[in-house]
Amino acid sequence: MKKKLTSVLAVSMAMSAFLAACGGGNDGKNAASPSASESASPSPSASESASPSPSESAAPKVEPFSMTVRHIQIGEPRKFRLAILNSVLDNVKKDVPEVSFELDGVEDSVNRFTKLPAEMAAGNPPKIFSLFAGAGDAQKYAKAGRLLDLTPIIDELGLKDKFLNVLDPWSVDGKVYGLPIGGNTEGVFYNKELFAKYNLEAPTTWDALIKAADTFKQNGIAPIAVGSKAGWVPNMFVNTLIGRIAGENANAGFITGETKWNSPDVVAAYQQYADFEKKGYFTKGELGKTYDDMLNDFIAGKAGMMFDGSWRNSAFTDQLDAAGKPAIGAKLAGKVSYIALAPVPNGKGDQTAMNANYAEGYGFSADLNDNEKAVVKSFVKNLFSDEMQLRGLLEDGVLPSMKLSDEALGKVTSPLLKEVLDALKNSSKTFPHFDQIVQSKVYSETETQLQKLIAGKATAQQVGDAIQKVQDAENAAAK
Amino acid sequence: MKSTLRNPYVYLLFVLPTIILYCMFFIYPTITSFVYGFTNWDGLNHKAFIGLDNFVNAFKDAEFRSSIWNNLIILLFSSCIQVPLIVVFALLISSVKRFQGFYKTTVFMPSILSTSIIGILWGYIYNPDVGLLNSILKNFGVETIYWLAEPKLAMFSILVTNAWQWMGFYIVLILAAILAIPKDIDEAAMIDGATGVQRAWYLTVPLIKPIINVVIMLSIAGALRVVDIVLVMTGGGPAGSTDVMASYMVNKAIKFGDYGYGSALSIIIFAIALILTALYQLLIARRQERIEY
Repeated sequence: MKKKLTSVLAVSMAMSAFLAACGGGNDGKNAASPSASESASPSPSASESASPSPSESAAPKVEPFSMTVRHIQIGEPRKFRLAILNSVLDNVKKDVPEVSFELDGVEDSVNRFTKLPAEMAAGNPPKIFSLFAGAGDAQKYAKAGRLLDLTPIIDELGLKDKFLNVLDPWSVDGKVYGLPIGGNTEGVFYNKELFAKYNLEAPTTWDALIKAADTFKQNGIAPIAVGSKAGWVPNMFVNTLIGRIAGENANAGFITGETKWNSPDVVAAYQQYADFEKKGYFTKGELGKTYDDMLNDFIAGKAGMMFDGSWRNSAFTDQLDAAGKPAIGAKLAGKVSYIALAPVPNGKGDQTAMNANYAEGYGFSADLNDNEKAVVKSFVKNLFSDEMQLRGLLEDGVLPSMKLSDEALGKVTSPLLKEVLDALKNSSKTFPHFDQIVQSKVYSETETQLQKLIAGKATAQQVGDAIQKVQDAENAAAK
Repeated sequence: MKSTLRNPYVYLLFVLPTIILYCMFFIYPTITSFVYGFTNWDGLNHKAFIGLDNFVNAFKDAEFRSSIWNNLIILLFSSCIQVPLIVVFALLISSVKRFQGFYKTTVFMPSILSTSIIGILWGYIYNPDVGLLNSILKNFGVETIYWLAEPKLAMFSILVTNAWQWMGFYIVLILAAILAIPKDIDEAAMIDGATGVQRAWYLTVPLIKPIINVVIMLSIAGALRVVDIVLVMTGGGPAGSTDVMASYMVNKAIKFGDYGYGSALSIIIFAIALILTALYQLLIARRQERIEY
């Protein structure tokens, strides 16, 4: 009897351990390899989103639920944009009281290049997330069935005609899969105080730019602040150089094959960058400097100019934030100006054209139930409103992606922001950054190759050839 | 009880949970990544079988070759420079009479810190403008050195940080072996008139050879595994000059969305690790003799 009891005990213990492992194991299996099952049917949820289940919509009582919101508004310079997001989420909670939000703040490029792609591959992206427009991001995920089709929501809310003509990089086959929170242009910020100190003219012409750069260099000040540890930062300047030297229509042609990365014009743009590098016009040790270091160097007066996105203008405001803290570059408030890059001698195309992007926005998982869809609708309604667009413009210096009245635009008081708006108004044409145009592999290659150019490990021609090779392969694969 | 334990199925039941977990988290991913290695899977769309293309491309890929080379540099640095230094430090600490515990703890300290913390900490030490290292060098009139931004220096800077992190752990291992050697052997040599250096070189080192071998093997395994410190400190930059095999693979698979190619790279890394370990086993570990006092 005793023997039997022990054996029964032993077996039951082993079985319970086994079952416990199975229970945990199933969770683990889902987490470890959802991609295997997902990849077989890339859009399992697309059909769900198209036809909401009737039983769910019939149920009147909604249990409390939570949704993850992945955003990139972290760190001091983006605090104004985080405040706007929080206001929107508060408003959504009024519409859908059962929802609670888990905010998941991730650094911009980590989200764009590491976290979101991995989640998309695994098929478990957050419900609401910061998304980038274009072939490498929004359009790629939309084609794979990972993104919620927003067209019905936009139609229902009557938002369709309220947006500027900016939704193309967010659309596939006429359906919209993401919405831009605002826009920006990329140009030259310069420190007026330093320019006055050395008796320099504003860098509105190429000669003035070069003269200023030489003067700063002689005086031990970096002419142009840059932080090239992440390749996208110097890529902003390269993009505008391509627009200036190869023409404003050049970068739209990479994906169609009309423009080649190794064509003489594009190589000339890279060569221009390499020449600046050789002359020592950029911050020393730039390959070890981050994007934040670039701003810090500029604020500290270690550099006279900085090529950056117009969104940075909110760093130089003297307004206090909601918590009563000053902006990171408050000490330069009123001492910084913003202009388009000067016309390049012998450049092709319109030399007053300016880069303009509407690429940062939000997307939503295709895998949503009806309650979650109600939240998304409310989120879109609250974020893409005149009020929030105006707040974005006034508090954060983000250009509106929706049509704002002249009266609303007249509320802009920041002189720097006015300069940003003027720069854009004075440019006859705009061209997008190539990062919203080319495929993600090509874009990643541009970063890799540019860093090689900076490090002196590749020539402009080698850079162009290497990128074109990837572009050719991607263009061929797309056919 | 006895009859139950004689039943082999009972044993099987006990090990089953572990086997299942092992299969789920090791065998299954290994097999799937092996399969992905032969496809052009981009993580999102349908994958197509492309044969050995990924492997052929990997060996044509100059950047991957340079990342293999970087791994070899770490391997050579850790086994040829780090290990002798570890032995010297262990010998020194073993012969101090006072505060031995203090030294032991101090050298061991870095290995209890997480790699991210060490990466950030040394990032500040190497900071060109406000870093400790440049501040000290400035006193001697040395111009600003861009430790992590200069392609020629970045790898060296990482090697030093990596050595700082792991040397303490190995020093304590070897120290334990030295302290386990019976005192009378050393005393006998002393009576015979052997100097400290002679005793260390002719007595202690041969007696701790087995543990030195273990340290070398762990260093080789560590060198092939290095990736975290690289990702934290330079992310493979500047311009790919500190990319190791694993960081290059992560970049290719995740940032470029090339899961097929990334999986192929992981198979190659696995093969290289296997070959090196086998070589070490065949050439060195087999010849080891047991030491008895």
